[in-house]
Amino acid sequence: MSFEIQIKFEFQTERRRGKMKWFRISSYVVLGMVVLIGFSSFVNAQEKVTLRFSDWHLAEAPWDKTLAEAMALFEQRNPNIKIALEPVSYKDKETKYTVEIAAGKGPDIFHLHAFSLPMFFDKGYAKDLTPFIEKEGGAKFLEPWYPLCINMMKHKGKVHAMPGDYMSMVLIYNTELFKEAGLDPKKPPKTWEEFLEYNIKLTKPPERWGVAVLGAKDPGFELRFSPFLWSFGGDYLTPDNKKSALNTPEAKEAFKYFIELYTKYKVMPPGVPTMNAQDVRTQVAHRKIAWEIGSGWSAPIINSINPELKAFDVLAAAPLPSKKKKVTTIWLSSWVMNPNTKHPKEAWELLKFITSKEMELNWFVKNRVTSSRKDVSEKAPEILKDKFASVIASQLPYGKVVPQIPQWPEIMDAFTTAVQEAFTEMKTPEKALADAHERINGILARKK
Amino acid sequence: MWIFFVLPGTILLVLVLGFPAFQSILYSIYPEGGGSSYNLNNYSILFSDSVFRQVFGNTVLFVILSVASHLLLGLGVALVLNREIFAKPLFRLIALLPWVVPDVVVGIIWRWMFDPVYGAFNDLLIKAGLISTHVQWLSNPKLALPSVIFVNLWRGFPFVMLILLAGLQSIPSVLYEAAAIDGASWWQLFARITLPSLKKMLVVALALDIVWEVRRFGLIQAMTQGGPGNITEVLSTYIYKQYFQFFRFEYASAVAVVMTAALLMVSLPYIWMISQEE
Repeated sequence: MSFEIQIKFEFQTERRRGKMKWFRISSYVVLGMVVLIGFSSFVNAQEKVTLRFSDWHLAEAPWDKTLAEAMALFEQRNPNIKIALEPVSYKDKETKYTVEIAAGKGPDIFHLHAFSLPMFFDKGYAKDLTPFIEKEGGAKFLEPWYPLCINMMKHKGKVHAMPGDYMSMVLIYNTELFKEAGLDPKKPPKTWEEFLEYNIKLTKPPERWGVAVLGAKDPGFELRFSPFLWSFGGDYLTPDNKKSALNTPEAKEAFKYFIELYTKYKVMPPGVPTMNAQDVRTQVAHRKIAWEIGSGWSAPIINSINPELKAFDVLAAAPLPSKKKKVTTIWLSSWVMNPNTKHPKEAWELLKFITSKEMELNWFVKNRVTSSRKDVSEKAPEILKDKFASVIASQLPYGKVVPQIPQWPEIMDAFTTAVQEAFTEMKTPEKALADAHERINGILARKK
Repeated sequence: MWIFFVLPGTILLVLVLGFPAFQSILYSIYPEGGGSSYNLNNYSILFSDSVFRQVFGNTVLFVILSVASHLLLGLGVALVLNREIFAKPLFRLIALLPWVVPDVVVGIIWRWMFDPVYGAFNDLLIKAGLISTHVQWLSNPKLALPSVIFVNLWRGFPFVMLILLAGLQSIPSVLYEAAAIDGASWWQLFARITLPSLKKMLVVALALDIVWEVRRFGLIQAMTQGGPGNITEVLSTYIYKQYFQFFRFEYASAVAVVMTAALLMVSLPYIWMISQEE
């Protein structure tokens, strides 16, 4: 009996030892794995930081390819940073960023046009870049950029964004259609009166019209319309931005001229009141209209819509016509760092990279956009020799920006509503403009 | 013990619906541009704003015409598809197709179809001899809202049709057989048997369609963005614009609260009917 017990005890002890052994081995394996995973996470955390980069250009050819290549180059040079690309549509970018930033999230770096900045500054949706700039050398670091561009990036005296593309609006016209209409492509119109005469000659409906200027409620509208208003001597607001200036004779004259291109002279194609910038470019690409008001981005996009047009050969650029003043609208884009970013140091590295001289020149070479850096736009031989960029750069001194106030999108909405009402003859140009004047004064008074 | 069963659902509902709703109400009484005390100023601005009144009127018109046309076409198609016709399953599938396409996609497709220069719609009508020149469907102030409603009719009628078809299939055929033996005409069958039997389904379809049409956003935004002028601006696009384009969070919240209140009012008969059934 005792022998059996002894055997049983030894057997159980052996089993227990065996179990213990397996338990010990398993424990070592688990411990080893925990250490390994922990170490690798630590190494990953140390080495790989993922930055979210969002830009409307990522949803547009040929920009998407250029940006993807540039980001791959950045990753190659900064092995500890990975870039997650987040395309967004041009129209929805403000919506996307606003919602995400308000929720404490959002891309680390995102692209905006400069006229959206005041709203983002006002809500605290752009990180103050002053500490980073100070570390890079302060004023000396900012020296290569045009002072106007840097000033537009400032909020309460501090730089909250970095400038990107900097371009003037010019005429982009089809030289072949000029020849077909008996016009000399080397002599584009210099005044708005000549512009109307040219358009009348170019218009042969239903095959072709002279010009199309977008009439949709689109952020691109003000870029195209403002030169009309300003060159006639008018303006949207008084110099202190407190009241509407649309009741001046100059503003009324400019507005009437613009509306009558569509309603009286019919040199614009049907459907202009709902056309956006891409619709207009599509019409240029398919030879339905002879010209548009565009800039450096126009030829590449038109070429991508219809490569058969051979846009780079057929199209040409010319300064906008003028009346009392020689003036054009300035397009300026900006790069913003999200105040919620968890990796400000790495995000700043990315900002420095995309606004570097090397990349600014790259954006031009690949996509024909001129830079807010003087050392690129004024010096790069590639720009100075280019038939589009040389004209765009030559017009920068005549450039003017729309008022940088938070109420601007609402003011523009009231104004484009008036344009559509006049285009569609719901109201006379005078009545539509007078109503917009009243509404804009109401907007400015409310926000005081 | 029952409380433990409903608790997870209740917490989820409060988090997903209750909290944002409460936040919106709070925003709507917060002074625009900052301030220390809550007040009803945003509501006073809203009701004195001529654009808001126009937008509210547009919404009412859009919803009435959309829902009415959905009901008429939905009922008509449901009646046809309830009969013994050739390839019935195929036609039922085809009739459902517009409903499965996302709103924004429908808007973009029809915007292109309505294009006065390239659009297929004008070409089709010219070839059919219905019009002689190209029509500006979305740029003409008299045609813009009817055009959007027309597209919304095409996109939205299958939902009503589906509900009414389910209702038609639940009507016992003996009722029709008995009435036919008594010599009832087609109209008498429809007015005395079909319509009364569909009453509850019609109320359900009506209530749900009204709620959905008041909230309709993607289609209008993609087609007209509320233009030309403010002719096709409705409450949902107006709120979007005020909130996301103008950053007027407080005012947009006030409009959203008014819209929700209006929706609740039109939903009450439906809620009452459901509760009566239970």
